Order: sequence, then structure tokens, then C-alpha cells
Amino acid sequence: MNVRRFIVWAMVIIGFGLQAVAYLALAAPLGKPTDVSFSEPRVPFAPLLFILGVGIVFSAAIVYELLPDRPEDRTASEP
Amino acid sequence: MTRYGMSIDLDKCMGCRACMEACKVENSTPPGSFFMYVFRLEQGEYPSARVSFLPRPCMHCDNAPCVKVCPVGARYKREDGIVATDWDRCIGCRYCEVACPYGVNTFNWMDPAENTYLDYDDADVAAVTGGVVPPYRNPALEEPYGPEQRMIAGGGHSRGVMEKCTFCVHRVEDGLDPACVQTCPVRALTFGDLDDPTSAVSRAIQGRTGFRLLEEAGTEPRVHYVGGAAPGPEAREVDEPVTEV
Amino acid sequence: MATTARTLPAERGRGGRTWYPVVALLLILLGVGIYAYLEELSEGMAVTGLRNLGPQGGATWGLYITFVIYFVGLSFAGISTAALIRLAKIDKLRPIVRMAELLTVICLMLAAMTIVADLGQPLRGIVNLFRYARPQSPFFGTFTLVISGYLFASLVYLYLDGRRDAAVRAAEGAPYRGFLRAWAAGYSDTEPERVRHRRASFWLSIAIVPLLVTAHSTLGFVFGLQVGRPGWYSALQAPAFVMLAGVSGLGMLIILAAIARRSLHLQARLGLPMFRTLGIFMFVSLLVYLYFVGVELLTNLYTGSVRERDVLRELLGGDYAWLYWSAIAGFVIAAALLVAWLAVQQLRTHIWPLVVAGVLVNLGAMAKRFLIVVPSQTEGQLLPYADGSYAPSWTEYAVIGGLLALGVLLFLGFAKVFPIIPLPEEGDDGKVVT
Repeated sequence: MNVRRFIVWAMVIIGFGLQAVAYLALAAPLGKPTDVSFSEPRVPFAPLLFILGVGIVFSAAIVYELLPDRPEDRTASEP
Repeated sequence: MTRYGMSIDLDKCMGCRACMEACKVENSTPPGSFFMYVFRLEQGEYPSARVSFLPRPCMHCDNAPCVKVCPVGARYKREDGIVATDWDRCIGCRYCEVACPYGVNTFNWMDPAENTYLDYDDADVAAVTGGVVPPYRNPALEEPYGPEQRMIAGGGHSRGVMEKCTFCVHRVEDGLDPACVQTCPVRALTFGDLDDPTSAVSRAIQGRTGFRLLEEAGTEPRVHYVGGAAPGPEAREVDEPVTEV
Repeated sequence: MATTARTLPAERGRGGRTWYPVVALLLILLGVGIYAYLEELSEGMAVTGLRNLGPQGGATWGLYITFVIYFVGLSFAGISTAALIRLAKIDKLRPIVRMAELLTVICLMLAAMTIVADLGQPLRGIVNLFRYARPQSPFFGTFTLVISGYLFASLVYLYLDGRRDAAVRAAEGAPYRGFLRAWAAGYSDTEPERVRHRRASFWLSIAIVPLLVTAHSTLGFVFGLQVGRPGWYSALQAPAFVMLAGVSGLGMLIILAAIARRSLHLQARLGLPMFRTLGIFMFVSLLVYLYFVGVELLTNLYTGSVRERDVLRELLGGDYAWLYWSAIAGFVIAAALLVAWLAVQQLRTHIWPLVVAGVLVNLGAMAKRFLIVVPSQTEGQLLPYADGSYAPSWTEYAVIGGLLALGVLLFLGFAKVFPIIPLPEEGDDGKVVT
């Protein structure tokens, strides 16, 4: 399996996953605010994790372009 | 769980604004900042003009727009229904102020220590105050309150943060009524647990036609008005706003 | 000075007559802006013209928020141009792609700084947003997707797109070689590398487009979801924000391209066909935006709530009428200029109608943003408060002026170090940039 392709896909999936998890499960819950829990993140710095997820997804493009070719990759088909 | 609310009897209110005065002293609010505000309105033209008064505290809405938009959760809804502002967390973006349909929020544009009603350096004033600046500030406002132990009481704490009516949370947690309720000379205001049919507020609302302000906005306010009517679209304020800070 | 095949016009030692006075003026503006902001930090926001709405009769969001929206709006053009080139293969626009990306990056940075300038507790704000930001607040989208996500994505795009030119310039012996080589990161201009770059750009463009739409819509939602502010509460806010962003962004791109064309003598590479494409896009966006304005106006004129009509009355015939009708006039004249430019043969050989239209739509956008933010705070309040008023203080003007100057300085600084127009690829039309 092409290493570059694997890393890029992994970064995209992890990045989006981190965004989804941070938004839905770690940050303050959505819904009509009936008590203080709607105004508190469930995990501190959850928004930072969300932003990290966005960063990871877009950094995958840099990895895709910058990761050097390896001899064994040249014979495999380009992703 | 207690469900705090307030009732305001517009048949009794005579626009004396003692509630505004008491609120200001109790909460140490700076000039121009009024947690409790009483509209003095007139409708129609002479000779058939009518005057009415409308006390307007914070509504402590059950579906509060200000809580929903606060980016950092400094404005939050307590379980007892009070909508509180943690001035230690507030970043001063003023989103709650523009989101509130009732206009109850105030922002500290200046350091409250410099934003005072009197010039305490003045010789005549200093003779009365004995050089103490400010001569009085409610010490209860500097304590944390609630099961969350947040800094939510009173006003005039620091510049760059928001504040508004707290239903005098520092008094309520001691079993007292808010300052405005206690002070009203004609007992137009009542406060208490809306879920308790024997509480003062429930008895004041019981069996009387009333309304809540801007109900159609979907905010679910906790302040009930009895007697009188909501101001019509032609109602206009008698006072001019004061924009000096 | 190395004698290279291509030198940047404003490189070290080649300032030219207008360079130094312009930079000096910008530095002065920046200095004044910094001074004004320091005064705001030390005295508090009372130095602005902002005041509490309601009993205090002011507006609590004013010039700063106006320009937050304006800057984010301008950033629309950059990445959408880049995306258009990659996805719709509109190669005519390739020469301005770097300017466009740079515009996006700089404008988003300016937007972030303007938001911070508007906070009562700026340092606490930066920390607490990362720590506590709530998804339910429309600011969450502005903070995470716009300022952090969109900015980072655009930086990545700018970086990757510039690698080839960095490598070429470093090989030619240009100044700042260390920086250029670091940027190029071993770019070798081989065919597989170029294929990889095309693919990466393609997928980046696809990823950025939804981010773009969400980002501008979120900003629209900041206003459109507020039931308590007649004039704001409208389903049209988000789409209208997106459209005006497109119009003003394209207008700014036209202005920048025209300046580059004139000052760098790039009549060949920044030719009429490219301006024609930009002009047509701007024209279509402007028509759609005017359609939105018309729909909103008609709806509120025919029948609106009492308070919405209060706001409208002040816009059309009251305190804000001068600004409202100037903005509308600006947009209409711009549209007319574009129609004339498209229809009249003699005009089509000139760039100036497009540039004038670009300037008009940008001024109109600034005015329209102000008219969205302020009137719904001073008028038309749901409770019977007396009408208020707001005028920005010199502090606010100075800070905004400083930020605008900073943006231009960053743009010029970049142009001094790096090709602002992508270097021609091999096999291009053979016309080399001087």
C-alpha cells in the first residue's frame, strides 16, 4: 500500500473525525439552554481540538505534495 | 427545583422609580447602567394623551437568546431559572446585548472606579464621604454564588465586561427578595417560586389576566405583568436617552 | 544585484518614485492606528463612539463589526477565484491567482484583528474562545471555521501554489534565497510532481468551497438569527452576505489587478480577456445582490412589522438615508458602467470602467455593512425605547485606517519578496515578464 496515500487518507479521516467528535461530543451541547451544562464545554479546550481537526485535514494536502517519493513507491500506481 | 419568576402589577405601578434607585444602590451599577429600568411612556396627542409606566427588569427567559449566543458561556441559565453573567469569564463581545429583544444588557465602557456619579476629589464631596472612594459598595457582590460558584452578582466590577439584572442573586440565595421588590412602596413587584402556588408571585398572578412582554419572540420570559396592557406600537418614551458614559 | 532573467519590479533597491512616499504614508497611518488602539486599551472602549443600546440610546456594535464583515467578505474572492481556476478550469484567471490568495489571507488576518479590537477583554477573549467556545453561538463558526479554518486552508493553498515560483526564483539567484528555498521545500518541477500539485490543488479547492459558503453564511447567521433585532432577523441575511462578499471581493481583485497591470507594465499577461472574465463575474454577482436588495425592500415596504418599518423609514428617508442612497447609487452606477463596458465597443478596450465599478462596489459594500449593523440597534427596537444615535469616534476611524494600511503594507511587502504574478510556465506564450 502506498505510504503517502495511507497517511493522507488517515489525516483526512482523523481530521474530520476530530472535528465531528469535538463539535458533537466535547464542546458545549446544543439545544434549548435549561441549565449551566449548555454553557460549558464537556472537555476544556474542545474548540481547540476542533480547530486542530480542521488543520489536520488541510495539512494532508501539504503531506501529499511534500512527502518524498520512495523507490518502492515509484513502481506502484500514483494515487 | 425552584422556578424563580417575578410579577409586576401595572395597575399599582406609579412610575416613582424607587425600584431603579434601590437596584442601583444594591448592585453598585455605574452611571447610565440600569438593571431595573422603568419606562415612562405616553400615547396619543394632547388633549387625549395617556401616560403609562412599565418596569422592565431582565426577563430571565427560559429560551434566552443571550445564553444561546454567548460564545464562551459567560452568560448561562441556572437551574433555578436565573440567567447569570460570569464577569470573570466574559470577553466583552457584546453579542448578548444585541441579541436581547428587551435591551436589558449594559457594557462597562470605562473602568467603573473612574465612572462614578460624583467627583470624589471635590472638596465638598470629600467632606461628606470622608475621602472614602467609593463611599459604599455592597461587599456581597464580590463573592461567588450558586452551585457553580461563579462570579455573577451585581455590577460595576471591571471594564470590558457585560452585566444585567441578576434577580439580586446574592440576596435570593440568602432567602431575601430582590432589592426592587423589597423597595416598591406600593408592592407592585413580587418575586418567588412560580412552581409554588403559595408563593407571593404565584398568588399575585393567580386569577388575573396578564401578559408577558414580547411573547411572540419565543423567549419564554419569567416576568409576568398583571393589570394594564402591553405598550402599543405608538407608545413613546417621555425621557431622552443619556449617552454620556 | 544579481542579473537575473526576471527581477521583481519593487525588489530591494528598485523602489521607484512612488514606492517610498506610499510606504511612508502607510506607515504613518499604521502608527496612528496603533496609537489609537493603545489608547483604547488603556482608557477602555469609552473612547469609541459605541454606547449601550436601549436606555443609553447608542449602538454597541459599530464601525469595528462593520469592517469585520467587510474584511471577511473580501476574503471570499481569493479562494473562489483559485477554486474557479482549478475546478472550472478558467485558465484566463491564472495570472491573478496569487494576488487573490494573498488577498484572502491578508483580509482574514485583518478580520481577526478587528474582532480583537472590538472585544472589551481582548487577551481573555483569545484564551477563552479556544477554551470555551460554544457551537450553539454563531460566533463559533466565525471563530473556528472562518478565522482559524478558512485562514489556514488559504495559507496552505498559497504555500503549495507558490512552491514552483519559489524554486525558480531561488535557482535564478533572487534575494531572500534562504526563505525561498524553505518555501520550495525541494520542489523539482518534474512531471509527477506537477501532477501531484494539480491533484492536491484540485482537492483543496473542492474542500475549501463548502468551507467558504459555511464561513460567510455563519457570519450572516450572527445577524439573521436574532429575533430581537428587527431588520436583522431574516432568512435572507446569510445568502445576501455571501453575494455581497462575492461582489466586493471581485471588485477588489479588479482594482489590484489593474494596479499591478499599470505599475508592473503587465499589459500582456494581465490582458483584457482576463479582465473581461472578472468583469462578467462581478456583473452577475452584482445583479444577484441587487435582486436580494430589491426583494428585501419590496417585502418590507409592502408589509412589515411595525418595528421593521421603523428601521426601513430611517434607512430610506431618515437619519441613514444619505448613506443608504449613496450605497444604492454606487451599486447602480457600477452596474450601469459594467453594462456599458460590455455593450459599447469603444469602452471594451479600456480597463477604467471596471476599476471604477470595483471602487464603487467596495465603497458600497462598506456602507451596506454599516447599514446592516447599526440602524437595527438605534431604531426599531421591540420595546418602546427612544431612538438612539451612533457616530464613530476618531479612535475607531484610526484603528480601521491602521488596519487597512497594514493590509496594503503586507501586500506590498509580499510583492517585494515574491512574484505577485505567477511566473510563466514553460511553453507559455513566450512573453516574458520584465
